[in-house]
Amino acid sequence: MIEELEIILETTSKILQKHVNHNLRQNIVYENNDILNLWNEIEKNGLPKISVKEKFGGYEIPFFSILPLIKIVNNHGTPLPLSETILSNYVLSESDINPPNGIVTFATDTKNLQIENNMISGDILSIPYLNLTKNLLIINEMNNAKQAILIDEINGEIIHKKNFLAEPRYDIKVANLNIAEIKPLNNKIDFKFLGAVLRSAQMIGAMEKVLDLSINYCSERQQFGRALSKFQAIQHQISDMAVELSASSAALSAITDLNLGDNNFNDIAISKIRAGAAAGKIIAISHQVHGAIGFTKEYELSYFTKNLNSWRNDFGNESFWEEFLGKIFLEKNNKNLWEYLA
Amino acid sequence: MSKFNFPFIKETNELSNLRKEVREFITTCINNNEFTPSPDAWVFSADPSFSKKLGSKGWLGMSFPKEYGGHQRTALERYVVTEELLSSGAPVAAHWIADRQSGSQILRYGNEKQKSSIIPRITAGECFFAIGMSEPDSGSDLASVKTKATKTENGWKLEGRKIWSTGAHLAHYMIVLARTSPASEKNRHEGLSQFLVDLSLPNVKITGIADMTGQRHFNETLFDNVELSDDTLLGEEGKGWKQVVGELALERSGPERFLSHFTLLDSFINEFRNSLIHSGTKLVGKLISEIQTLRRMSFSVASMLQYGESPETQAAFVKELGNKFEKMMIETLREFSNIVPLHEWPNQLQNLFEDATLRIPSNSLRGGTTEIMKGIIARQLGLR
Repeated sequence: MIEELEIILETTSKILQKHVNHNLRQNIVYENNDILNLWNEIEKNGLPKISVKEKFGGYEIPFFSILPLIKIVNNHGTPLPLSETILSNYVLSESDINPPNGIVTFATDTKNLQIENNMISGDILSIPYLNLTKNLLIINEMNNAKQAILIDEINGEIIHKKNFLAEPRYDIKVANLNIAEIKPLNNKIDFKFLGAVLRSAQMIGAMEKVLDLSINYCSERQQFGRALSKFQAIQHQISDMAVELSASSAALSAITDLNLGDNNFNDIAISKIRAGAAAGKIIAISHQVHGAIGFTKEYELSYFTKNLNSWRNDFGNESFWEEFLGKIFLEKNNKNLWEYLA
Repeated sequence: MSKFNFPFIKETNELSNLRKEVREFITTCINNNEFTPSPDAWVFSADPSFSKKLGSKGWLGMSFPKEYGGHQRTALERYVVTEELLSSGAPVAAHWIADRQSGSQILRYGNEKQKSSIIPRITAGECFFAIGMSEPDSGSDLASVKTKATKTENGWKLEGRKIWSTGAHLAHYMIVLARTSPASEKNRHEGLSQFLVDLSLPNVKITGIADMTGQRHFNETLFDNVELSDDTLLGEEGKGWKQVVGELALERSGPERFLSHFTLLDSFINEFRNSLIHSGTKLVGKLISEIQTLRRMSFSVASMLQYGESPETQAAFVKELGNKFEKMMIETLREFSNIVPLHEWPNQLQNLFEDATLRIPSNSLRGGTTEIMKGIIARQLGLR
């Protein structure tokens, strides 16, 4: 399986290198042929169903093992919800729903949601890339039971479009919309944890790119008669970025070994805290060392920093997971700290 | 990007069992009043009889070969033992440097006589070392050392001063970095050599220096034309720089870079557990996430050392992040004094806190400053 994954990683890098550029990110709409071509190439290689069970036509590589793929996709700044689709399809497949073809996006936040006669009504919030697909996975809780709801013909009134992000996100109001399939969510799945893992891996991929951009820019940009990278003040700031990034990667690497259902909540919390904290510092430093050019739309840094800003807030920010970790330790056991940690 | 990788290394059952064994041993020692847990114990708290006891348990020189009295265990096993000792504030300062770096340095570069005469004693907890790098005029700029070793008929004559050598007053040996030929104009790193110096030799004068806490662990060591025999040269003449860089990787990557004040955190949580449940869960969660990340990184470096890699840069990452964490930890505890004022903390905890506050500036100086760590990382990134 490791070999299989390595081949997939290599193929993916090649596809993304060929298709993704900063121009493509300026026009993330369905009508953009380049977006469509890229998606078709991705789908042809089976990437959306990489973690889907074989019986549903997937590679059945466990979700925690494909985090390197998520990193690569976001290291290239791919303006398509491949990461979201991979997670959605995985959750569908684990809940015994055959994932549809095409892009699948997800939603966990809803308001006034009602389900009757296999139809759904209410507000569905903060859906990434809703403009590119009709397929939506909703994670819903009803009478203390969690459900996976698949909609394959989403349709409704857009009530809010979030603008400050690089990736499109929408709130939508739906009324009496047909449900394609509804099943109990696999009880080993806590979507908030999986989402936190997904965003951590995405952030690390993006932070690697931001570090590379900063190194390259500072090595080329001349001021006061020498490259910025020759100033110790700049060197130290960039080294701070590298330290933050390596800590996040180390935290995430603990997760790639896990299986669904392992008692891995702490590792996931740590990963999201570490990546979120690192992102805050890396956003600030990368913009500082880039100067004004980094603040333009034309230069690609901002695509990555905008996404970092949103991902660090998704599925619980640092404070949320710090509370979570602290509570588990303080309330749920009487061990002293070292016994608990080691 | 591979240069920043810290692959995840899982703790096996064997390692967990070893951990348990060490922990039980420590608990027994504490119950028998053999030591009182203390902060920064690997620098400040030396107890040769405790070191000897660890030696007899087989927990010193763990990875050294059996033919020299070692135990041929892995760097990961050593890691587990050191973590347990550090987190409990055990008095490990006497043997710390010998076990951490000097022994490995001798095994790597030493001749047969050096190895067979010294390594078994390190492993037994009977032979202690001090570091001979810094000098009054050479701190961060280590290549500028002026201590000089001149070839004589029977060996070498050593002349110069080393400073900030922790524990030199208790140590039997110091590995001294000295100039054996002038630096070439192009490369200051040439012409340096390492010497294995017996500190009981005539004309070696060790003077203690009180640090700002009032304690004496630092020393200045004067080598006033000390006669050294031929076989005191460690490794190759002129290759001292390369050797010393490897030694620093051993020095910088271990858990002492983030567990120096763990006893403070442990006592703090035990004392204030109930208040923390109400108003400190976030604070505790933040500390947990940082410690666990650092443990993974440091454990990962131990595994690199085990496989014979040279993780000098990764060691700098661990040290830099570990130093930051310890400072952050003390600030975090300080913030908590808003909830329970400092003067209401139990005396012992107040003492630990004040001690840590006093000592913390040294953590990003010893073993290489923050600025040097950042410089090493920047070089790896291609910026220098």
